[in-house]
Amino acid sequence: MKKRNNKKAPNVKNKKRMLFLLLGFCIVTIGLIIRLGYIQILQGNDLKKQALEQWARDITINAKRGTIYDAKGKKLAVSINTDTVICFPQDVMKASTKKGTAINDNIQTDSKILQIINSISNIIRNKKPIKQQSEENKIDVKTPEEIAETLSNILEMDYEELYEKITKNSKYVIVKKWITREQVEQIREADLSGINIIDDTKRVYPYENFASYILGFTSVDQEGLYGIESTYNKYLTGVSGRWVVNTDGNGRELPYGFDEYYEPQNGLSVVLTLDETIQHFAEKAAERAYVDNNALKATVLVMDPNSGDILAMSSKPDYDPNNPREPLDETKKQEWENLSSQELQKEWFDMWRNPIVNDIYEPGSTFKLVTTAIALEENKTSMDHTYYCDGYVREVKSYKPIKCWRYYNPHGSQTLAEALQNSCNDALARIGLDIGKDLFYKYLKALGFGEKTGIDLNGEASGIVNHPSYMKDVNVVTQSFGQGISVTPLQLVNAVSAIVNGGNLMEPRIVKELIDEEGNVIEEFEPVIKRKVFSVETTKDMLDIMESVVTEGSGKNAYIPGYSVGGKTGTAQKVIDGKYAEGKYVTSFIAAAPTYDPKLVVLMTIDEPTGGSYYGSIIAAPLVGEIINETLKYMDVEPQYTEQELGLIEKSYVEVPEVRGKTIEEASKLLSKIGLDHNITLDIDSDTIVKDQFPQPGTEVLKDSLITLMMN
Amino acid sequence: MGVQSTTNKKTCDWVLVFTVIILVLIGFIMVYSASYPDGYYKFGGNGFYFLKKQLIAGAVGIVAMLIAMNINYRIYKKLNKVIFLVCIVAGVSLFTAHGTEANGAQRWIDIAGNSVQPSEIIKIAGVLYMAYFLESKSAVISKFKAGFIPSILLIGLFSGLIAIQKDLSTSAVLALSLSIMFFAAGANILYFLGLGAVGTLGAIFLIAKEQYRINRVLSFLDPFKYKMTVGWQVVQSLYALGSGGLFGMGLGKSRQKFFYIPEPYNDFIFSIIGEEMGFIGCILIILLFVVVIWRGIRIAMNAPDMFGSFVAIGITSIIGIQALIHIAVVTSSMPPTGIALPFISAGGTSLFVMLASVGILLNISKYSDTYRS
Repeated sequence: MKKRNNKKAPNVKNKKRMLFLLLGFCIVTIGLIIRLGYIQILQGNDLKKQALEQWARDITINAKRGTIYDAKGKKLAVSINTDTVICFPQDVMKASTKKGTAINDNIQTDSKILQIINSISNIIRNKKPIKQQSEENKIDVKTPEEIAETLSNILEMDYEELYEKITKNSKYVIVKKWITREQVEQIREADLSGINIIDDTKRVYPYENFASYILGFTSVDQEGLYGIESTYNKYLTGVSGRWVVNTDGNGRELPYGFDEYYEPQNGLSVVLTLDETIQHFAEKAAERAYVDNNALKATVLVMDPNSGDILAMSSKPDYDPNNPREPLDETKKQEWENLSSQELQKEWFDMWRNPIVNDIYEPGSTFKLVTTAIALEENKTSMDHTYYCDGYVREVKSYKPIKCWRYYNPHGSQTLAEALQNSCNDALARIGLDIGKDLFYKYLKALGFGEKTGIDLNGEASGIVNHPSYMKDVNVVTQSFGQGISVTPLQLVNAVSAIVNGGNLMEPRIVKELIDEEGNVIEEFEPVIKRKVFSVETTKDMLDIMESVVTEGSGKNAYIPGYSVGGKTGTAQKVIDGKYAEGKYVTSFIAAAPTYDPKLVVLMTIDEPTGGSYYGSIIAAPLVGEIINETLKYMDVEPQYTEQELGLIEKSYVEVPEVRGKTIEEASKLLSKIGLDHNITLDIDSDTIVKDQFPQPGTEVLKDSLITLMMN
Repeated sequence: MGVQSTTNKKTCDWVLVFTVIILVLIGFIMVYSASYPDGYYKFGGNGFYFLKKQLIAGAVGIVAMLIAMNINYRIYKKLNKVIFLVCIVAGVSLFTAHGTEANGAQRWIDIAGNSVQPSEIIKIAGVLYMAYFLESKSAVISKFKAGFIPSILLIGLFSGLIAIQKDLSTSAVLALSLSIMFFAAGANILYFLGLGAVGTLGAIFLIAKEQYRINRVLSFLDPFKYKMTVGWQVVQSLYALGSGGLFGMGLGKSRQKFFYIPEPYNDFIFSIIGEEMGFIGCILIILLFVVVIWRGIRIAMNAPDMFGSFVAIGITSIIGIQALIHIAVVTSSMPPTGIALPFISAGGTSLFVMLASVGILLNISKYSDTYRS
């Protein structure tokens, strides 16, 4: 009715439909509000977490690794600041998707609806060219190809390798460690998305191949792999920090300053007991022993017997921890180039072995000190006891008679000290048998043989000590002169230290303390006495005996006026595959000095010397003597000259002349003229040229000193 | 007629005025916030680039609204032929030398240095002409031959004019709005449902025709699966909303606007609102739109004549449909498509035309016959 009355106004039907529309709008709106609430509140945290993941770039800030100091504060291993290029492949890849290349026909269609839509679309489209979907981002975003190209130019790296790295399916990739300042500048200028530069540190060993076996080395990630770097890794490492940067869709840092920075906690520094100067003496001596004797290996270990402190530890050949995967020897370097990676690894592990701690050997005659000390302690012998050597050990049955080394000219009657001076096997066999296998075993255990000393270096070997239940008398006999028992050089030095320090077996100490960056001591490691093994009387007697070996016996070459040196030589045949290897020896000399108050115990081992002589008295003793002389002088130990020495000093010091390059005949005559002896080498021509001499020309030595000459 | 107009003249709908102005002001703030990174990085450190354009468009738009408020809406009925011509000209203008191409679609023309979206003009002009047409056919509107066929042809023509610009979403908005007008005008429900069915098929056809539209459908069904490709925008939008939570990260604190969401000041501005102002802020905006729609339908119901009523329902529909689609896209409630949020999204032509349209709506409100309700 109204419709006719007012034709132009909207009618009831119109209005009803409009109300219906309002209702419809409200229903849809409510639906959307519910949906919105579901997303923002119910799923909110989950989505936020994912969003955070794409915003936040978590960069690890490496803590600065602690320094390794020697006992006097010299830096043996330091970390220096460098820059490292890292990459967030996610941001690099974004550049490529932004260019709209990622959309293609190959979108997986596993749902039925999608398959239908796709098939319809294919019919309709007749395979028209594909349209780009995403709104192109026209900012200066570079493609991964461009980024790789730029980086390969700056970093001088292979393009393919770089491309693979920066497009890797990973959150965080290290592109190149330790780049130069110029490279940093260039990369910053290039402003590449997803490429960042972070502070990093690099390990540097300023002394290069110096104490390598103590220091060890680290991986590129500053993880200690060997030596102190490995055993004290957890203190040296510190706590790495974090830098959480929020980035925009193109990988740029957000301007808010929303980034969080957690300061890294730098690692503690380690102070060693090692003394750089003494280590130097040891390195020098070991190097000479290694080279001059054309040996397989040469080691030197210097210990303070009173504290068990390792003062020096050197083994040659060694490696440069700055570059631990390359041998120092040029010819070896070339050989290694042709090795397979497996062989190469074996070579590396061999090179990294620290023979002083990781390897065992038969100590030979040096072990006679241990046997004697045990016998003295147990009153099985005494200083005035005499022994008779007729050349053969007759107490035990053996399919091959056990001979004294000088069976062709037996030592005859001798005191205990003389037996040691003569290094008489016959006498030692008697002493060993007098101790008895059970007591012997008990003492060897007490002296730490057959077990790890507990030094803070990795891969320590335990050595082999026969259990008495498996031992026959013949084993006791051989053991008494150092055969059939395997020890590490460290074990032997530690045991001899116990003999000379008043009887205390120490735990070898290599780390004195841990300090922080300001130098505050965080942790101190006191010397540890493991147990008391010998009495002071035994020590006194043993020092007398050891001194007499040097003054009267086989250790003559280690004699140093003023510093009464006590020592014992040793030359042991090597055991290879369970048998004594013909012509292969480990020559050694162990010494303690000064005998009136021992400050040092020094052991040198020379593995397979092939330079003419293999006797410890000839090739090892003089070098040990020199180490002791230099070290005691360095330590400001006052020399105590005997009256006899004082008298001699006045007139009998002569300067060693230069004989290198001369024939043996000339050299011998020259030396005799000024009252010096030289070692005798048999079966050489009189015109053989002297290759090297020891001590070096210019050294002041006592008259009648022995000059070691080395021939070609 | 002149006498009637003066006697019926009342004050306009102030609730609508305030609501729209609040939305426009919120729009300024949000455009500034959301466009800052794009402006800063793409326009030489000028973070105000988009805000400036929006402020100008807003100011001009308010002036246009005030003018339109005071122009008797019946004039558009008289000018129906001119308006029809405007639609055609705007529809083909893109293919002249003034047209510019972007994103594989022709959507802008260049007028005296300003890029103008002809589709925005066609939308309002189409509504005005449709209202005239529906009023003239009101007696036979429910008939098939005399009412239904001409109406859908006209709807097809107007939306077709936008569709040829490859702007399917705007075209769909217009088609839906005109259909709603047709529905309000008294279309036969059966025919209308049939039209709906045909329209759906047509939409499927059009979607299947272009790969990028298929990709959008795929990204809607499982956006996270295609996170790095077609699902990117949707996933980023959801991240923004999720990060906002209940209270939001605070005004200006969106991170998603930093090149995670492409053009965040435009088709995804609601995500940024959600991120910065949270669920609370989103509800506020939605309620403001509900007020606008409510007032619009109220004006339509109280209009003194069918023309005014249909114009009001048409304008309200455009606003309502765009708002719903925008929010639905942003919340991944439908396949993603580019629809600006009325009054808020950056876009000069859109804001200007929207405000002018509200001006027309307000003018109609002045003549409303409140006694009838």
